[in-house]
Amino acid sequence: MSFIADSFRMAIALILKGDSDVTSAVATSLSVALWSVLFAAIAGVPIGIAVTLGKFPMKGAVRLVLNSLMAMPTVVIGLLVYGFLSRQGPLGSMGLLFTPRAIIIGQTILATPVIANYTLSAIQGADERILPTARTLGASNLQSLFQLAREVRFGLVAAIIAGFGRVVSEVGVAMMLGGNIRMYTRTMTTAIALETSKGDFAFGLALGLILIVVALAVNLFLTVAQESLRA
Amino acid sequence: MSIAKYHLSSVQASYGKTLGVAIDELSITAGGLYVLEGANGSGKSTLLGILAFLNKPDQGTVSFDGVPVNWTRKECALLRRRVTLLHQRPYLFSGSVASNVTFGLAARGASKTMVQNVIRESLEKVGLSGFESRTARKLSGGESRRVALARALACKPEVLLLDEPVANVDRASAALFESLVVSLAAAGMTVVISSHDERLGARLGACMIYLEDGKLAGPPEQLPSKALPHCEEENDAHS
Repeated sequence: MSFIADSFRMAIALILKGDSDVTSAVATSLSVALWSVLFAAIAGVPIGIAVTLGKFPMKGAVRLVLNSLMAMPTVVIGLLVYGFLSRQGPLGSMGLLFTPRAIIIGQTILATPVIANYTLSAIQGADERILPTARTLGASNLQSLFQLAREVRFGLVAAIIAGFGRVVSEVGVAMMLGGNIRMYTRTMTTAIALETSKGDFAFGLALGLILIVVALAVNLFLTVAQESLRA
Repeated sequence: MSIAKYHLSSVQASYGKTLGVAIDELSITAGGLYVLEGANGSGKSTLLGILAFLNKPDQGTVSFDGVPVNWTRKECALLRRRVTLLHQRPYLFSGSVASNVTFGLAARGASKTMVQNVIRESLEKVGLSGFESRTARKLSGGESRRVALARALACKPEVLLLDEPVANVDRASAALFESLVVSLAAAGMTVVISSHDERLGARLGACMIYLEDGKLAGPPEQLPSKALPHCEEENDAHS
């Protein structure tokens, strides 16, 4: 028990003194997660809307794929993207592997189905009168879709929260595509995995605590935003 | 000679295997006031959806101001700026009453000054002056319908289509709706109202369009002939 208590005290000390390894991992984690969620929202929200409202063949199959992608193991996504970004891969010449941008690519792929599925649920649950009402008031199709998105914005923020939760807590993509390079691509989760395996439990615990606080803070911010949108 | 705002010829619309409407010929005169009457499921809402350019018929021709409608997305979007449908259970967007009333104008890119004037005028017409900053979703059912009507009027449409506007509203709101539509028609707006109320046409002095199982029909026998005012020549085309 004292081992955990001592580690906890050391973790707090590391956080308070602003250890550079800790701050770098936190900054990298937040940066890649926020960019990934931004790109995933740009892709996922329109996909969710299109799949819900669109009329096209194999719609059921597309929804099944989207659902299945939600449960896709992060290492599998990491592995697939690795194949594309590695030197022998089709995008190898771009030199993206083991950079934060590679992690962003992988995490965007990870979060997009999550955001698309949550958007799909939000749109499905929306009042069916929204689109005809907007259209009969003279809104163009695009304006009507924006109004629909505005009406379900509460659900869309929930989609973004879920997407953020998915990427900020994952290890597989960050490890495989970032390479866990110190002060460059090391995220909180990859640092926790590495340092704990090396026996530095206090360091892992410090990052674990920060990860929980950061996740809480971001979710709190988004929840407050969500509540203000509800009015 | 009156100009036809709409002319429908051999129009048919179905939902799956269920027939929505099947109309051989129907003309709606510009500036006319019409009451569309029929039982539940007779096709009133389907017909209004077609007249509002929201639903494309499966067959037939719809002409608007003498021009046949091609039902392309772009054309329908443009035509919908001239025709507004007030649904039976109108949906108010989240936000204030003012933001609802200005929705159609904002979609048309109207200026702020114009918008302010229109909000005031439209709310005044429906007896809701001073409601601008109220939260739309917190209004009573009757108030919501009146806001929806103000929102439709703010668009200054050439044609106003009303789907059961006085169903389940209090007497005062119904009277306001009725006097308003009469004055709108008198001012040159084409108004089509669907209703179950057999006496509505007589009260408004409107032309009657009867629908039965999606088809144009004659007036129910129990109605007195005065329930069929000033539009016999137009309805001749129906028979």
